[in-house]
Amino acid sequence: MTEMLGRRPALTLLLLIAVLAVIPFVVTNPYYLHVLTIFLLFAIFASGWNLTLGILGLKTLGHHAFFALGAYGSAMLSHYAGVSPWATIWVGAGIAALAGLLIGVPILRIRSMPHVAIVTLAFAEIIRLVLANLKDWTRGELGFWGIDAMPALNLGGTVVEFGTGKPFGSYLLALAFFAGVHALLLVVLRGRIGLTLVAMRDSELAAESLAVDLTRWKLGVFAFSAAIVGLSGALYAHYIQILTPTSTVGPEMLVTLLAMIIVGGVGRFTGPILGALLLTVVGEALREFGDYRMLLYGGIVMLFVLGAPRGLAGWLALIGRRRAA
Amino acid sequence: MTGAILIETLLNGLITGAIYALIGSGIALIYGTTRVLNFAHGEAMMLAAYAALILSTTAGLPLWLAALGAILLVMAGGVVMQRAVIAPILAREDWSFRIIAATIGLSIFLQSAAQLIWGEGFSALPYFFDGVLVLGPVRMPWQRIAILIVALVALGLSALLLYRTRFGQMIRATAQDAEAAEAFGIPAARVHTMVFALSAGLAAVGAIMLAPLLSVNPWMGVPYILKAFAVVILGGLGSFGGAILAGFLLGIIESFGVTLTSSEWRDVISFGLLIAVIWVRPYGLFSTREG
Repeated sequence: MTEMLGRRPALTLLLLIAVLAVIPFVVTNPYYLHVLTIFLLFAIFASGWNLTLGILGLKTLGHHAFFALGAYGSAMLSHYAGVSPWATIWVGAGIAALAGLLIGVPILRIRSMPHVAIVTLAFAEIIRLVLANLKDWTRGELGFWGIDAMPALNLGGTVVEFGTGKPFGSYLLALAFFAGVHALLLVVLRGRIGLTLVAMRDSELAAESLAVDLTRWKLGVFAFSAAIVGLSGALYAHYIQILTPTSTVGPEMLVTLLAMIIVGGVGRFTGPILGALLLTVVGEALREFGDYRMLLYGGIVMLFVLGAPRGLAGWLALIGRRRAA
Repeated sequence: MTGAILIETLLNGLITGAIYALIGSGIALIYGTTRVLNFAHGEAMMLAAYAALILSTTAGLPLWLAALGAILLVMAGGVVMQRAVIAPILAREDWSFRIIAATIGLSIFLQSAAQLIWGEGFSALPYFFDGVLVLGPVRMPWQRIAILIVALVALGLSALLLYRTRFGQMIRATAQDAEAAEAFGIPAARVHTMVFALSAGLAAVGAIMLAPLLSVNPWMGVPYILKAFAVVILGGLGSFGGAILAGFLLGIIESFGVTLTSSEWRDVISFGLLIAVIWVRPYGLFSTREG
């Protein structure tokens, strides 16, 4: 349990959120705020995926499909039906959760990891192709543009605006969802559910013998994880305001997120957050030198798997333990 | 559907299927002997095509010699990759997912390295064979027919190697039980390396035969690797024969699927089929047990 959550996870999260909350009042450069907004959204995505990949130990490779379903679902619903994005983001998350249930049923009967990995990857590919082919609705690879931003909020006289070109509001909105999702994850993981998940990861047989209904649990966690990823996709859609199938559910998205989780630390609560922060910032910094981002992400995944499989979170925990001893 | 279209569709399916069988059988061979799922297999194709292109156009070698050289280079690359990346991870616990992650990383790394070195330009290898085969109303370029023939020869030779030689016996023994094989004096680690070389070679053959028809580019392996995974699952993960059979079957299904719908939906059909099969026959079309 400590391995998964680290020591004092609530305090760590609270401190992190406090620091992040000060940033937009200190940093005024809109570009920096944009990069950090992307970090926050990807951290939600990575933590959602980590729930199945690391904590449940179910090696799925298709979570970018849920990101795209959440993004396109929310964007299209608000665009074509005129529903407020404040409502459609939840529908987007719901669509992702339903898709998670749908794809979860065939794969959860199989215990073979390669089967799970390949089938979830194939599912993501189907979603990408369908989004690219339904040109009348999604405009395919030309991009679904003109997505509504989240409508402005009036907070006690101050109007906060969101969307592209509104870095201050967008950052705070992303931070609010970041805080909410991670607080929820922490509550869930610290309770009975977390214990059950760890028991299942350590030994499915032992957990089953203690009357844990494996299939229902896995399906539930899978749908929950898909919903979180779908929510991050929906928030992303209304922030960036343009989507293409390749940029949301292409191989680059898969590798970027995989790199974040592996660099941060698979199966650790703070891992995906650390990984998302590091790779988003480094990836942006590299942008001026040319297109080295994918070279870096691919190489870094390989190096961390070979040399530091516990990731940054595991490494920090090790240092903390040494200092405590 | 007239007779000529029927034959042409079938032939096209067999040709596509031949490529799937070449790529898929390599993945199945690696999985069967080492339980490793190699996501960088598509990049063996890409590197083979570039190697053949450079050896023939830049170095000026005759086409057949360039192809042979490219196959040998990629097989050597397979050896290096197995030694440098796969073997160190296999020695650790929980390696199964780590290998997947590491080979996904390697795959993207090689793609972007190729893009940085050779650019995004699309070039093609010259045709190996000119002319068109005319059989009554059916017309088919020899280059496409050659894919089928070369693939069948390469797969046949691999099958002979696996089932008729001492080395093949060693591979199959290692696949059944690596520890027991070692107890009988079989160098299992070296067998693993050789299997990587062999399957990289099969992928290289496929890529070089395709290179005159397709453009050689950094991402040319991507569509095939996913298809090959589908083939390997349909054929029963780890089964060499199953992968070949499923490769041809998928090629034919796709070919008829495209004639009936449109090419945009081809891959949706294949992957949809894969998920449907997983639903009813989790361990492949031809076997009932976990591989």
